[in-house]
Amino acid sequence: MKKTAQFMLLAAGLVGAALAAEKATPSPPLGLPPLPIPADNPQTPEKVALGKKLFEDKRFSATGDVACANCHEARKAFTDSPLHVSEGIRRLNGTRNAPTVVNAAYFDSMFWDGRSPSLEDQALHPFLNPVEMALPSHEPILAIVRTDPSYATVFEQVFGKKGATITMTEVTKAIAAFERTQVTGDSPFDRYSFGGQSDALTPAQKRGFDLFVNKGRCVSCHLVEQTQALFTDNRFHNIGVGINDIQKDVPALAGEFLKAKATLAEVDKKVLADKRTSELGRFAVDRTLEGLGAFKTPTLRNVAVTAPYMHDGSLKTLRDVIVHYNNGGVTKKDDPVNDFLSGGIRPLNLTEPEIDDLVTFMEALTSPEYAGLPSGAGTKAEVKP
Amino acid sequence: MNPTDAGRRYFLKGAGALAAASTLPLSLVKLAFADAAQDFTFAYISDAHIQHIEGTKFVRNWDRGLIRAVAETNLLTPKPDFVMFGGDLAQLGSKPELDHGGEILSKLRHPLHSVMGEHDYYLDLGEYWSKLFGPHHYSFDHKGVHFVVLNSVLTYDEWTFNRWPTAEQRMLEMAGLDNPNGSPFMVGEKQREWLKKDLEAVPKTTPVVVFSHSPLQKIYKGWNFWTEDAEEVQAILAPFEKVNVIYGHVHQIQYNQIGRISFNAVMATAWPWPYPATYAQAESAMPVLTVPMNRADPFFERDATGWQFIDMNTGRVTMKFNLYNNTNRVVAFNPATGRPEDRDFQDPAKRIPPQDHY
Amino acid sequence: MSRKLTIVAFAAAVAALAVGGLAIRADEFTKKDGERWQKEYMTVVEKGRALWTSPTLGTNGVACAQCHPNGANTHPETYPKFQQQLGRVIALREMINWCIQQPLEGKPLALDDPQMVALEAYVAHERRGVALAPGKH
Repeated sequence: MKKTAQFMLLAAGLVGAALAAEKATPSPPLGLPPLPIPADNPQTPEKVALGKKLFEDKRFSATGDVACANCHEARKAFTDSPLHVSEGIRRLNGTRNAPTVVNAAYFDSMFWDGRSPSLEDQALHPFLNPVEMALPSHEPILAIVRTDPSYATVFEQVFGKKGATITMTEVTKAIAAFERTQVTGDSPFDRYSFGGQSDALTPAQKRGFDLFVNKGRCVSCHLVEQTQALFTDNRFHNIGVGINDIQKDVPALAGEFLKAKATLAEVDKKVLADKRTSELGRFAVDRTLEGLGAFKTPTLRNVAVTAPYMHDGSLKTLRDVIVHYNNGGVTKKDDPVNDFLSGGIRPLNLTEPEIDDLVTFMEALTSPEYAGLPSGAGTKAEVKP
Repeated sequence: MNPTDAGRRYFLKGAGALAAASTLPLSLVKLAFADAAQDFTFAYISDAHIQHIEGTKFVRNWDRGLIRAVAETNLLTPKPDFVMFGGDLAQLGSKPELDHGGEILSKLRHPLHSVMGEHDYYLDLGEYWSKLFGPHHYSFDHKGVHFVVLNSVLTYDEWTFNRWPTAEQRMLEMAGLDNPNGSPFMVGEKQREWLKKDLEAVPKTTPVVVFSHSPLQKIYKGWNFWTEDAEEVQAILAPFEKVNVIYGHVHQIQYNQIGRISFNAVMATAWPWPYPATYAQAESAMPVLTVPMNRADPFFERDATGWQFIDMNTGRVTMKFNLYNNTNRVVAFNPATGRPEDRDFQDPAKRIPPQDHY
Repeated sequence: MSRKLTIVAFAAAVAALAVGGLAIRADEFTKKDGERWQKEYMTVVEKGRALWTSPTLGTNGVACAQCHPNGANTHPETYPKFQQQLGRVIALREMINWCIQQPLEGKPLALDDPQMVALEAYVAHERRGVALAPGKH
């Protein structure tokens, strides 16, 4: 009897420990792998709340009216849909479409050209970009967070720092921690593939999934695996968007760019300032022939609600996107493809019904959190030029 | 050396409009022992295998490989002194294929020399090819280096002239790499005599570079990674202090050192071939030195294909493999060990999984 | 009769039948059977080889043998495995279909098509003797 009692106490203890552990590291949403969290920036509820406050603070801009949340609006799945390219202070246009923050925590690099290695680093750049927040330096931000009482106590609580010891490291860690909570899965596709619900997809969506993996050739870059699906390979590919327009100018543009011997901060400014340079893509960052016109594979999760599409927002609807791929890397069917096109891109010979099926499949990648947003599948909504 | 008249015709077609555009700086590897004043580069594009389907349709995959190699070669700075095309421009040696391939090559902004490949040769024994690209074997001197181009894909007369009822059949039989009805490549006695005479006047201290389609070694007979008279050819080259053989045909990275002769294979622009050791039913003599290229992902059509630019410094060859979707590779002659070595991966401890995961 | 006697009598009857050439329970195939079946198998391997080198398996004239001479680099011994290009664990014949559709630009074969069996037989035959390594990338 004694032994049984001892055993039961031990068992209870183990179960208790297991439950506690589960609470500390929540399991990822259905269809996603474990969330990568850097060792030097663990998640806590207070840090996340601080990050959200910073993310939404419009004072961190030259004109006092632009925050991260302007272009990454929570109720628009953290984008500024339907804008082609984002607008910063004074509605100045950049050259790139605002990617969603949702599931960005799973990227190995940030921005369309991967010029930033982490969420923490990424947060530093828009503050200083002349067409985004246009601050002359990070000092105005630090001035606010060091003196504003609503920040001071929180920074001390979260980081044990106050006054002049608060630096951009703490600011960006908090922002990144907030961004790491914006992860969603559990879409109809997830429930079908990983949740065992064979009726979670409609017959058209099932056909679309089959195309996604076979004839459509999507899965090799927009990864779907046996137990989880990130829908990105975290690599850079030239798929013929944007670069087709500057083909003749590639040697000149690339040469000029290299002569400038740009630093990372300068790359950040140059690619958002000049559309033609922007089309060089990854090349601007790593200066390899590989990178010419190459951009990062985005995740397709929630893609139906984050129109318009591609790094320059040039494709309005999902249908337009599929047609571009079907043409083998050109938007207009008989245009010549660019010389540096990725070897993975080629004409697909999809029929119209097959294109429709693929589009409806992509609508099945929307998580419940965003299921109410308008779909970019085939909308022909007017967008600002 | 002037490019052949045919080569010049193609060269001039593309030159005019593009001359003004600036080109892309790509850093050359500066090796410690090189005397910079003697350096020059040339580009090597090989094994395009332009394949005709019907009418104006060609296999898009191989077209894109050659187009991209040409576009990237045109971006090189400093400009290469010339471009070699390493053989197998066509797949079945047909006029449409040679014309289509020639048209793509005509966009090159540099002088072009060409090497004969078996896929170019066995339909009409190189007759149309000669109209476009010049003689089947020849030599030239450039900046103190003696260059020789051999037609090393000949074979026994009986097979070439008597075995097959039609030229088309003969071409098809030679086109199958693993075809048991094939016949081993050779340089042949006539050409070896020509080579001896050609080299007579060349001082033994002059660096010699031999361009050949077949390896001038005996690697694996089943796939014609083979030159039947390799030993005889090597013997003719042996008296020279610095000899570099550059060959195509194998569609993979290979390199070797035999005596004073360095051997370097070039990549294909079309598709990669497996290493002979991956064929379980036969033995092969793969050069032990070679660090394999990364295993290909067939989804990306350009994976394990590429082109190369070659530095000549102090009479030795440094191969820079320009590989799509993969880290570029550099194989350079190491004077300390007297053989070509991979700059980054020769040490087994530095290998990465794609190189040995065959 | 007694139990023991019944058993002995029964065994004797079985032995007699066996000696007489009628194996009443075991499938005793002969060496000749084995040789005949090996030949039958090789005819399918040869069909597979013919398909392997055929320019009409796809629609663009490209044959499997162009990239895979003697079936090299197909690694049949590693299947089933997670196939990167399809995003899931598959059997060999699904990858064969992928190749027919992609580099050969053709239509996939039905998974139980005799041509598919022939292709698999050829690939496996050229790889005979290599140890199984299922799941290896």
